[in-house]
Amino acid sequence: MQVEPIPQEVQEKIEVVESADLVVGVLAELNQESLVILCDALRTLSGSPRIAVLRDDHAVDPSVDIARTNSETAQNHATTFLVPWPLLRPDTPDTPMLSMSAAYQSVFAASEKLGARACCVIASKLETPEPDWVRQLAQPLLEDDVDLVVPRYARHKFEGLLNSSIIAPLMRCLYGRRIHNPLGPDLGVSRRLFEKMIGNDRSARMVGEHPIASLVPAAVCENLQICEVCVGARIYPPTDWMNFSSLLSQILSPIFADMERNAACWQRMRASLPVPAICDPVRVSEDAGTVDISRMVESFRLGNRDLEEIWGLVLPPSTLVELRKLSRLSLEQFRMPDELWVRIVFDFALAHRLRTINRDHLLKSMTPLYLAWVASYAHDLETGGATALEQRLERLSLAYESGKPYLVSRWRWPDRFNP
Amino acid sequence: MWSQVKQELAQSTARFLARFIGLLPGIAALIVALLASILLAWILATIVRRLLTSMHFDQRLARWGFPSLAEWSPLQSPTLLVAQGIATLVVVAGILIGVAAVAPEWTSLLVQSVFAYVPNVVGAVLVLVFGSIVARFLSRSVLIGAVNLNLRYARLLSVGVRWLVVVLAVAMALEHLRIAPGIVDLAFGILFGGIVFAMALAVGLGSKDLVTKSLERDAQKASDEHVQEPFRHV
Repeated sequence: MQVEPIPQEVQEKIEVVESADLVVGVLAELNQESLVILCDALRTLSGSPRIAVLRDDHAVDPSVDIARTNSETAQNHATTFLVPWPLLRPDTPDTPMLSMSAAYQSVFAASEKLGARACCVIASKLETPEPDWVRQLAQPLLEDDVDLVVPRYARHKFEGLLNSSIIAPLMRCLYGRRIHNPLGPDLGVSRRLFEKMIGNDRSARMVGEHPIASLVPAAVCENLQICEVCVGARIYPPTDWMNFSSLLSQILSPIFADMERNAACWQRMRASLPVPAICDPVRVSEDAGTVDISRMVESFRLGNRDLEEIWGLVLPPSTLVELRKLSRLSLEQFRMPDELWVRIVFDFALAHRLRTINRDHLLKSMTPLYLAWVASYAHDLETGGATALEQRLERLSLAYESGKPYLVSRWRWPDRFNP
Repeated sequence: MWSQVKQELAQSTARFLARFIGLLPGIAALIVALLASILLAWILATIVRRLLTSMHFDQRLARWGFPSLAEWSPLQSPTLLVAQGIATLVVVAGILIGVAAVAPEWTSLLVQSVFAYVPNVVGAVLVLVFGSIVARFLSRSVLIGAVNLNLRYARLLSVGVRWLVVVLAVAMALEHLRIAPGIVDLAFGILFGGIVFAMALAVGLGSKDLVTKSLERDAQKASDEHVQEPFRHV
């Protein structure tokens, strides 16, 4: 991971603060009231830490100045500084993940500059935000010596599907930790973890790398402490179908790149273990109703018809035969077995490593396959509640874990005959 | 008179035979050089093929980002392409040696004209290879993008883009080779202009209603998705 140098005009802004124990980068679009609540919650942290809250300087109300915010602090409470920070711009339409990455790097750079013990990034808005959820995210870093705090969002069955279908179960099977949202995006990171990551990659910086994809692998491979904090349901943006495949490519590429970097580490891991969770899981109500999967199945059938020559370079013949059979099923019968889906993900990860075809093409061509899995998953959970959701995702995670020997074997001997 | 004719005939036959006998060692040398070069080419090609096969050259090449080279190769194998290329070079060298034995001045003329043409051939080959790579890249981009947008005619679009680029590359290569440049220019202009004109007509006149309906349907679908889509992916 690279830490971007801080520009001169930003240096001047941060020099007002001098030093901080905790840096909180606010990437989410919070209104002034929410920001004040956030600062108030942070002030209740024990040990009177100095906290710098970085906020996009275009969104900061000029009527709230740093001096006023600071003057409100009491003797035995934490001190918060609201710092206008021009580098937090996660919402670039075409490359949101790369922009998010740049924003993370900017928060890390500020943390390093201020000598902070830890930093947090707040990138989401929650459906029913508890006033102190940000404090819960920061507390283990400062008080319990935890190195990485990841959120455990209350989940709706049809939200965060990319995380449920690939990211979380893949990370669990690779790195042996049952983390529900390994990419956050609301995360707490200790200085120790951040320094280790800089130390690892200072000699070989990679431009455009996504730091949040590397946090969990780095923490696990360095034997650092990880914990989960339960928070409410996250508000997800509606799907932008025009750019969906690009987004898929942007998210999966750094994860697959990290697999390549940490191959020695994840090949050693066997079974998965739960990570300590601070709190009880928050449950959300689910609407039981029918969902329309025809568009996704149609997309898969079209992909199966037209992308077979590309998939043929990546997937073994047996998988292609199974996909062909799947494309002939009716909507009611449409089910993609988890084992098939897991092998597809593993084969794409391997093709990413081997550069079988252009990496962007490779990951974008995965979109119809992903939609097929989502359609199958939607079928399974159409009328299911929270328990069915948990069971379904656990079944998928176990399929990933039992498929790991296949991944290890193909990773080590990619040229070996694979029918 | 008859004796003069006989004398002339005898002299010309003697001259021809003398010239032919003078050429025989050269022709024998040409045949020997050719046979030796074929033998050497076969040995070298076998060695190179075995060496490259043991190195998994085809797979490595695909991994290094040149999978399109396989398409241009015999039996889809770049190893065979390299081996046969080396064999051809050796045989050509053998022919040149043989021709030099028959008539040294022919060789220098042949070599001069061949070498004068080499830059054109190299340029044309580079244009073709580059064109093939670009055509494949663009056609894949279009195919994947169109499939992800649920366009039914994705393959047609992809093949269209591929052929446009290939036709352009071939026309440029022929121009480089100076093969019937006037005809190539004219044919390319007619073909390319014809395609663009046909597309413009199709969109502008024939498919106006179809395009309008398609765009309306897409817009409607997009707005419906925003309202009803329960799935949140990222």
